[in-house]
Amino acid sequence: MSSVSAGASRSTLQRFLGGYGQEIVVLLSIVALFIVVGFVNPRFLSDTNINSIFAGNAYIAIAAIGMSMIIIAGHIDVSVGAMIGVIATIAGTLAVAGYPVWIAWSVPILFSIVVSAGTGALVAYTRIPSIVVTLGMLSILKGGLISATDGAWISNMPPEFMIAQMRPFGIPSAVYFMVALTILAALFMRYTDFGRAIYAVGGNMEAARAAGINPERSVIGVFALHGLFTGVAGILFATQLQVIQSTVPPNLELTVITASVIGGVSILGGTGTVIGSTLAAILFACIGSALIFLNVSAYWLRAVLGLLILATVLADMARRRRAQ
Amino acid sequence: MKKMTLGAILGLALMSGSALAASAWTGGDDLPTSPLACDGTAGASAAMPYDGGSPTNPPDRKGKKITVVDIPKLIGIGYFNATTKGILDAAAELGNVDAKTDGPTKANIDEQITFIDNYITSGVDGILFAANDPVAIAPVLKKALEKGINVVGYDANATPDARQWFVNQAQFNGIAKAMVDNMAAEIGEEGSFAIVTSTFTTPNQARWIAEMGAYAAACHPKMKWLETVEAQEDNNLSFNQATTLINKYGDELKGIFGMTSVATPASAEAVTQANKCGTIAVVGLATPNAMKPYVEKGCVKSVVLWNPVDLGYAAMHVLRAVADGTLVPGATSVKAGKLGDLQIINGSEILLGAPYVFTKDNIGQFDF
Amino acid sequence: MTASKLLRHETILAVLTIIALAVLASLSDKFFTAENLLNQGRLMSEVGLVALAMTFVIVTGGIDLSVGSILGLTAILLGVFWKNLGLPLPLAIAGALACGTFAGWVNGFIITRFSVPPLIATLATLALYRGLAEGISEARSVRGYPEWFYVFGQGEILGVPFQLWILGIATVVSAVILGLTPFGRATYAIGANETAARFSGIRVHATKLWIYTAAGFVSALAAVIFVSRVTTTRSDMGTGLELDVITGVVLGGTSIFGGRGTIIGTVLGLILIQALKNGLALSGVKGDGTIVVIGLVLIGAILIGAMFDKNRGG
Repeated sequence: MSSVSAGASRSTLQRFLGGYGQEIVVLLSIVALFIVVGFVNPRFLSDTNINSIFAGNAYIAIAAIGMSMIIIAGHIDVSVGAMIGVIATIAGTLAVAGYPVWIAWSVPILFSIVVSAGTGALVAYTRIPSIVVTLGMLSILKGGLISATDGAWISNMPPEFMIAQMRPFGIPSAVYFMVALTILAALFMRYTDFGRAIYAVGGNMEAARAAGINPERSVIGVFALHGLFTGVAGILFATQLQVIQSTVPPNLELTVITASVIGGVSILGGTGTVIGSTLAAILFACIGSALIFLNVSAYWLRAVLGLLILATVLADMARRRRAQ
Repeated sequence: MKKMTLGAILGLALMSGSALAASAWTGGDDLPTSPLACDGTAGASAAMPYDGGSPTNPPDRKGKKITVVDIPKLIGIGYFNATTKGILDAAAELGNVDAKTDGPTKANIDEQITFIDNYITSGVDGILFAANDPVAIAPVLKKALEKGINVVGYDANATPDARQWFVNQAQFNGIAKAMVDNMAAEIGEEGSFAIVTSTFTTPNQARWIAEMGAYAAACHPKMKWLETVEAQEDNNLSFNQATTLINKYGDELKGIFGMTSVATPASAEAVTQANKCGTIAVVGLATPNAMKPYVEKGCVKSVVLWNPVDLGYAAMHVLRAVADGTLVPGATSVKAGKLGDLQIINGSEILLGAPYVFTKDNIGQFDF
Repeated sequence: MTASKLLRHETILAVLTIIALAVLASLSDKFFTAENLLNQGRLMSEVGLVALAMTFVIVTGGIDLSVGSILGLTAILLGVFWKNLGLPLPLAIAGALACGTFAGWVNGFIITRFSVPPLIATLATLALYRGLAEGISEARSVRGYPEWFYVFGQGEILGVPFQLWILGIATVVSAVILGLTPFGRATYAIGANETAARFSGIRVHATKLWIYTAAGFVSALAAVIFVSRVTTTRSDMGTGLELDVITGVVLGGTSIFGGRGTIIGTVLGLILIQALKNGLALSGVKGDGTIVVIGLVLIGAILIGAMFDKNRGG
């Protein structure tokens, strides 16, 4: 698929690839998947199915935007899944307790921003690697959540709280959030000083300092921003169903990090875009749905997924090598 | 790049080839099944001698205060919160038991073993467990028996000689019959259905599915089993999987079985959000509280479950009876507080009763 | 970098561990008994073995997230070779070990040959190997091994659990390799500056390939011990192992950016975590509380280390 279009208009494409290479690969994979699976079972292309693929996984894409920024800045956050569980629980508890919905939405997001900024401050000023701090946070949030709730499910939330279930113009609201936040974040990363500072800090901290950027403040800022995206993702996660499990969603951090890196964010920091991570999150959602449509034996589902990830990564590496 | 893409495609093709060639995933295990008769007449069950284990030189605990720890598969889900409530209720009622629940945060054999091991060292008198794996848990339970600790299982069994008694919530074939009969009543004898289960490796779910397959083949031969999907114990994943099934099969899909207390409400939610209430039936194992909204709206007609609070309650009473020496091998029934006399089956299992079917008329009376 | 500087974090950790042991012993009289401590050694062997190899991996500046999946895959293969293919058990064990080692080699090959960052490469194989374990096993467990096989996971030699001997030997061997041999020096050099290491004549790719292969081997070894300990195979064995292992290694002072870290630090880190898990449980703290304490200790220990050594790279 990709090689065919590459042959058509090499020079323009090559220039374009320079900026958005991995994004293109992921986008083409999505298109190819839709064509192949749609051919096997046309119901895959029905608007209800496409809506559910997007809406059911928008929160992963949104969390991956924040994660991409963190990784571009040269850091990582393995506590993101636990944080989403905590946010959902706080939001649900507030909503059931009868607080106005805007409080039930905004307080947990604020909580997420504050905690995440705190993590950022610890990382920035003590120079403890972010993976260590967030590993610790993962334990604290997970254990703390279970101690506080005993895993009691939250239900009977007021209907106006259920923002993810609202469908303005027939499209799930989560999709609007995903698209709007991706575009905003992409513009922000490209055209603001702070956005460029994030790339600079991830590329080379000392060089960034020499260029007049305060790296510590940038790191705290990017963690706070990541907290905002995690917060929004947590609210969408909480309002998708009638029940909140008030536990940590299993393996969510791996899914989010994988989406970011498959989307072309270099784990070494300094390069990548947030558009790629959103596309990668969509790709995963499509694969998950497609494997059921294609009747792939559920036993082999994860093996196929692993191979796909590996293929994407190797294709990207080969492309980069050619580009050099 | 071309070579790489080609290689990747080749690898994928090979793997999907083997994936498609692999035996169709049903989600059931391959142990022998024993479907009940279609009209529900109970088969004659042969009396079996006691096949449980026994603790080595247990101290005399008759009437004395004992400390008991309950280690479920995992903590933090509604179902095991309910069993914990039953255990604590019974402990309070008995007055001479100091009980608490502790366990892993995800259904993990290694962590569960570590928890049990630590409580053996700390010197408890009794252990209640719900096994993540019947065989993997056996060595550590045998160790507990060797230390003179009373060991009683509930919900999910271990190999019999690794524990003394097991409180069986309902027999596998009984659950299977209740599920399939209710589904057949809702979607008709020729309807097609799919199953949303937890994971491949959960023994109870695999057993139920195998029994459901056997019973459906014998008593509802024209029902069509479309496929089974895996959804962990994860709300959102269960919802996504059920939604995908609805989208994939369109009008062909008439019913969804939810095999866990997580999958069933999530499947009901998927049906609700797809506006398919009334056209796609959801039948499943679930706790009443999680299902009330769907049952009251009429989207779900029947929920099958035993009462998990009673299950925990019975398990605690059995453990007390074992510690007191009033329940000994060879007994045919055991007294379990307000539940009255419970029957003993299969040598060393205590049967809680037949599975209960919650409907619109009675679900309001339950709170767990 | 002088030895005293290298050992600074380890010294702090040793003090912390001793304090923790003393406190826990005073909280419960069942904690500081030979029987309990040996039993805890049995329970931490699998994580411990993998953590030794992970120390090498992280010292080179890499990471291996697929160790838990390799453990699961090896466990399944052991059962399949023995039961389904009918191989004699010793041969099945050898075959499974070889496959696990090969899985590690594949990681190393992808990382060195295609210059894929280790985090991404092993993230992919994490899913791939677990998927293979699920696919090959089709969710069936293999049980009923002969009695002699259980010696690896449940047996004792001179009153000490069998796997603790293996862990002890492996610890000494890896400490010697990392601390005293040219291979160990190459490992540090790669982690400190890969390009410089290459220019000074170190065979960077070969060294890394050996290390990832070794990680595969110890994960496979841990799988055999695990299967023997729990007497059955399951495709979900070892899920989440990677986080436990990495927590132990970084608590032991190994820098996630590479170039520094010691086996003794890793061992201390593992002991501290296991002691906390066990000691807190014995003194009546529930599992969720213990998780919180471990998180706090992880951040706290690294923080103290950082305060004593302002110059460590961030």
